Order: sequence, then C-alpha cells, then structure tokens
Amino acid sequence: MQPDDQLKEDEALAWAVRTLDPAFADWDDFTRWLEASPAHGAAYDRIASAAVEAGEVAAPLVAANDAEDTLPVRRVNRRWFAGGLAACAAGLLTFGYWQQTAPDLHSRQTEPGQVLAISLDDGSRIDLAGDSRIELDRRNPRFARLERGRALFTVRHDDTDPFRVEAGGHELLDVGTVFDVRDDAAGFVVAVQEGAVLFDPDAAAVRLDAGDRLAIAPGSDTLTVSEVTPADIGTWRDGRLTFAGATLLEVAADLARASGHVFTVAPGAPRGSLTGSILIDAVRRDPARAGALLGVPIRRVGDSWMIGAP
Amino acid sequence: MADSLPHSGLHAAFLQHRAQLLRFIAARGGGTDAEDVLQEVWLRISAAQTGPVGNPLSYLHRTANTVLIDRYRARRQATLRDRAWSETQGGSDPAVSDAPSAERIVLARDLARAVEALLARLHPPRVAAVFRRHRIDGVPQRQIAGEFGISLSTVEADLRIAYRALADLREQFDAV
Repeated sequence: MQPDDQLKEDEALAWAVRTLDPAFADWDDFTRWLEASPAHGAAYDRIASAAVEAGEVAAPLVAANDAEDTLPVRRVNRRWFAGGLAACAAGLLTFGYWQQTAPDLHSRQTEPGQVLAISLDDGSRIDLAGDSRIELDRRNPRFARLERGRALFTVRHDDTDPFRVEAGGHELLDVGTVFDVRDDAAGFVVAVQEGAVLFDPDAAAVRLDAGDRLAIAPGSDTLTVSEVTPADIGTWRDGRLTFAGATLLEVAADLARASGHVFTVAPGAPRGSLTGSILIDAVRRDPARAGALLGVPIRRVGDSWMIGAP
Repeated sequence: MADSLPHSGLHAAFLQHRAQLLRFIAARGGGTDAEDVLQEVWLRISAAQTGPVGNPLSYLHRTANTVLIDRYRARRQATLRDRAWSETQGGSDPAVSDAPSAERIVLARDLARAVEALLARLHPPRVAAVFRRHRIDGVPQRQIAGEFGISLSTVEADLRIAYRALADLREQFDAV
C-alpha cells in the first residue's frame, strides 16, 4: 500500500469510528473531508459497512472470556448448580459471569424493510423482520421476548433447557423447532414449520406441531388453530411473503414491515381473505404492483398505499 | 433551535436543510442517486416511531449515512452473487468451475463464525468487549468509557483496531 493510501485508510477508519457513534454531530467537518476526494467516501464505505455488518452477525451475548478483568462484576445471589460446576470445571465460564443470575436484558430492533439475523450463543438463530423489536437476555441465551413485529425462530433443541419465547402476553416453549411468531395490529400468530411448540404451557397448554398455525384476532381471547403448508412458513426471511386466507389487515402489516413503505386498509374495504405469494423486492420497487399480483386494489394516498380502495 | 422537536419537526428540518443533506449525500458518493437516497431518508423518518429528536439535523445526516451504508452493502452482495453465477455458468469444466461458488456460499454462511473468531483473537480482550457494547448494544462511546473506566480516546482506539480487522476480514471473504 502506498503511503497516501495508508493515510487515506487511517483517516477513513477514524471517521468511521466517530460517525457511527450515536452522539456524533460534526457532519459539516465530515462532509468537507468527503469532498476532498471521491476516494474518501469509498474507503469510508468499506470500513463502516464491515463494522455495521459485524455488529449484526456477532453474538449479542458478552462472552465471559471477553469481559475478563475489564467489565465491572456485580456480585448478586451467589448460586451454584451442578451444570454450572461442570462448566466452571471445563473452564468455559469465568467466576464472575456465573454469580450473576439476574437477567441482563437488551433489545435489538429493525427499521421497516430490514431483516436482521441474530445468532445466539447456544447455536439458535432468530431472524427479525422489519419494524420489529426483540428483547434478549445476555445471561440466558434460551429466552427471547418479541416486543412487537415478527420473528422466525430456529431453535437448537435441548430437552433439559427448553427455549422460551414471550410474545403478546403469551408464552411459547419449544419442543425442537423452527417457528414464526407475529404480534402486531393484525393480531397474534404462531406457526410451526418444524418440530413442535407448547403454547402457554401454564394455561391453555396447546401443543402445536409442524404445519399448525394458532391465531388470536386483535382484542379477542379466542384461539383458532388451523393447518398450513409448513414450507410456506417463514418465507419472508428468503424475500417472499406468502398469504393463505390472510385478512387485509394482516396483508397491510406484512407488506409494510417487509418493504418499508406505509400500507393502510381502506375504510369499508371488503372483509374477505387473501391467498397468494409475492416477492418483497417487487413490493419495495413498486408498491402498486403488489395489488395486481395479489388481486386486490392498491392505491397511492399521499405518502402511503391504501389496500382495498377501489 | 428548540431542545426537542415533535415528529413533524423532523419533516420540517428535512425541508429546511434539504440542500445541505443533498450536498452530504453527493460528497458521500451518492452521485446520480442522490435524489433517490433523499427520498429514502424521507420514507425512513416517516416510518420510524421516534420520540422527540434533540438534534434533527444530525439525526437526518445519520439516517442518510445509514441509507448509504445499506446501499453499499446491497450493491456488494449483488456483485458477489453475479460473480458466483457467472462462474457457475461460464466454466469450461463444470466440475471445477462449480467449486469456487459453492465454497463462497459456505463462506458467506460462515461470516458470523469468522467474526466471532476474529473478535476472540483481538488484543487486549477489552477491544472485543468495547466493540460488542457499542455496535450490538448501541451504547454511546462516552458511556462505554465510563463503564470500563477508560478514556474516550482509548474507546476510539479500541474501535479502530476492531473496525480495521473486520474490514480486512470482509475483504478476504469478498476475494475468495
């Protein structure tokens, strides 16, 4: 690398660190640096994109060996259990990490149109749809709370330590599983692609097997369980939305979450249900075309798109 | 400027500072797509459920910067996909030409693992802890300095180490 290139790289690196801090405000200076050479923007993109991407794929849990000697160790509720002793003996966890039994929660969230893949320390994976928010526990990788929106859980099963999901005031316990959870204005839905899930184990205790879909309409307390094609579950992760007898409200919520455009349901629109499949990229590029593909009128109203408006 | 503005204040700030944002986007490499990028910024501030924003102009720049980073990533992914495709299709010996793209697919899947391995290798270990706290938990650098009992410039230096290593790692993935 030439000395000039090295200097440019170092400057780009320093700007990437500064500008990606939420407190950064010196955008005028940054603009002037960018204007000095087109190569500056390119060098900045290379570094900033790698840093942002790594933040998305890295495990959200602070591994104990990373935190050694540096993170303040809170000493609470010293509790020992057999598995823990074994893990300690294996040198997998440091002393400090172990004594912490209180949950250490943090949230991840997405913008509309975004999909975020989260890898958990236990080998499980959560794909978070757009405009969604999920809470995780740094001390317990076997727990997640979907605060809003939609997520696809691909859970590594462990009989002795089931994965627990909270969403919409309900609890889901995995029995070895890939499942999709949604909680939004269109209601609460859980659909199982593989394995099985126990819904509200302490109350209704409904077992859902692969291809089962449980829905609760907004403001209702009636559970409806229906059958769906397992292959149609969670297709949004691969860039396709699949609807089977969906209400317009559900369609609007899904289109908005996946595309980043705003969709609403026309007042007085027919209450019918909709079946079909559509590529998210197509909706993103041309929201009106979604109407033609799904066989329902979609019309632009200001900055948003109205479904079911003739 | 008021300390905080309601959501509509963000739109007002957008209209007021449109020219300045456009200049930033152009300097940043937005070029001929600058108007498209601006449109996407508008959509994002319309869709986001933000509370009052303390510094609307800074918020708008940050949103534009994020849009540009997302676009860069999408472009790079598309290039890699095209290259993998043409390699699969174009080789004279199908058995051999298939290999690199198959390998690349496996590698892409392994990026998360490679990032973890790299973070584990960084010295001192605090570098990876600072990186996670900042990029995953979204904690501002000044607050991290307080939590770790180090200076702000040490936090910045740690992040420079991590970002440089991660950018080099990404390059290795792209080059395979």
